[in-house]
Amino acid sequence: MSNKLSGNILWESSRMMLPEHKEAINRFNQSLQIRKRAQLDEQEQELINRALQQSLRHRIALTIHMYDPYEQLSIIGVVDRIDKQLQRFMVDGEWFCLAEVVRVEFE
Amino acid sequence: MQRVVMLADCQSFYATVEKVAHPEYANRPVVVAGDPERRSGIVLAACPIAKSFGVTTAETLGEALAKCPQLVVIRPRMQEYIKVSLHITSIYNSFTDLVEPYSIDEQFLDVTGSLHLYGGDVQALAQAIQHEVKLMTGVYIRIGIGSNKVLAKMACDNYAKKNRSGIYMLQQDDLRNTLWSLPVSSMFMVGRRMTRHLNRIGVHTIGELANTPLAVLRRRWGVNGEVLWRFANGIDFSPVSPSTHQTQKQIGHHMTLPRDYVSLQELKVPLQELSDLVCQRARAKGYMGTTVAVTCRGANFDYPTGFHRQLKLEEATYVSTVVFQTVMKLFHQHWDGLPVRSIGVSLAGLVSDQIVQLSLFNQSEKQLALERTTDLIKARYGETAIMRAVSITDPGQARDRANKIGGHYK
Repeated sequence: MSNKLSGNILWESSRMMLPEHKEAINRFNQSLQIRKRAQLDEQEQELINRALQQSLRHRIALTIHMYDPYEQLSIIGVVDRIDKQLQRFMVDGEWFCLAEVVRVEFE
Repeated sequence: MQRVVMLADCQSFYATVEKVAHPEYANRPVVVAGDPERRSGIVLAACPIAKSFGVTTAETLGEALAKCPQLVVIRPRMQEYIKVSLHITSIYNSFTDLVEPYSIDEQFLDVTGSLHLYGGDVQALAQAIQHEVKLMTGVYIRIGIGSNKVLAKMACDNYAKKNRSGIYMLQQDDLRNTLWSLPVSSMFMVGRRMTRHLNRIGVHTIGELANTPLAVLRRRWGVNGEVLWRFANGIDFSPVSPSTHQTQKQIGHHMTLPRDYVSLQELKVPLQELSDLVCQRARAKGYMGTTVAVTCRGANFDYPTGFHRQLKLEEATYVSTVVFQTVMKLFHQHWDGLPVRSIGVSLAGLVSDQIVQLSLFNQSEKQLALERTTDLIKARYGETAIMRAVSITDPGQARDRANKIGGHYK
């Protein structure tokens, strides 16, 4: 049931909100949810590189966690190619940026 | 478990923000007032010094100046007030994650979970919040406290705004000695008209309202009667909901015209502009609407006229021309021909634009492409970079409106 006696409806219908204010609130809340990029140390970086190389050479499936400002993003599959020049790698025909890799797990 | 809810209200919000921005006016009476040239030339906020001269909000600038000739008049800067309001929200957020803005200068806080950090001392917590906001923004806040939203609101309006500390707690079990002795007119949601109705059935104080049998109130006013009864008894189960502003139910715009418009020819222009604006926002948000509503208010206050009508479309849309056609259809049907003071257009029944039924017969694809292009131009070069030719005729409001928020200057 949804009328004035339930939920937050009474307060939602009585308030005075400028649409611009409302939008600013939502934008602000969204900005709080932006994830920070993890800082990797050299050893961590080394582990990631080695895992990608192994996957490429021995066709081992990996779960590769990537950085994304809003959502949790991971790639599951075998690395098909690594392009050192452009700093990218390919899984299942799609190119991804090497610098965005945060963590790698073996399947 | 007993909740602890606060309503924090900013004293003379706009005026205080301006006083902080202009320290040279610190000891002078300051008001923020809309444009004196237009109807919006009224006092939006008066600082405590100006109030001591008898200046009140919502009176005209002329009346205020008559009471206090040395008044400092400042134009509103709505964007700035929104920014400060958000800053205050983030300060509240450092005390509790349950913060719900209720208006630009009032916000609800549910501090139930933060109280243990202050040894369970509500007063200490309220003082800490008050102090922090004053320090960071210069704004003095008054805090009403209760076990739910309505008690917090009434504690703030009736007590915290009037006492020295600016903090007051209404106890649910002690209403008999506090709230109940006040006249019904000081209750939240009871206006002038409701006061008259209640007085007529012999209810003069909040206590009398609280002790009126619920059945009597329900019979007379239905759900609204029950709401009044609950509020008088300090009952309210609504949550403090921080995400309340995320859901979008409708997209609408409303404007008060600079003068009374009398002909359909004149009215057509701002109606077109409002339809454009509503659809532009709908497109930006990725929502299409199925119901178009028009509001119109007549110019004569003593003889109120006007209407609010809506029409359901066959399919969801955000094409301005389609919405405008519907708006004009409604206007043709329901407008009585009397002068009009304010108009509004809104689009409801929102659905995502990600899934669309294509139609063989309607030709709005081309129109939509055109409108999307103007959206892009506006986003890049400003709202007035491209507009309809009618907007530069006399009844047009688009140029003026682009500089405003809530009818006042950005």
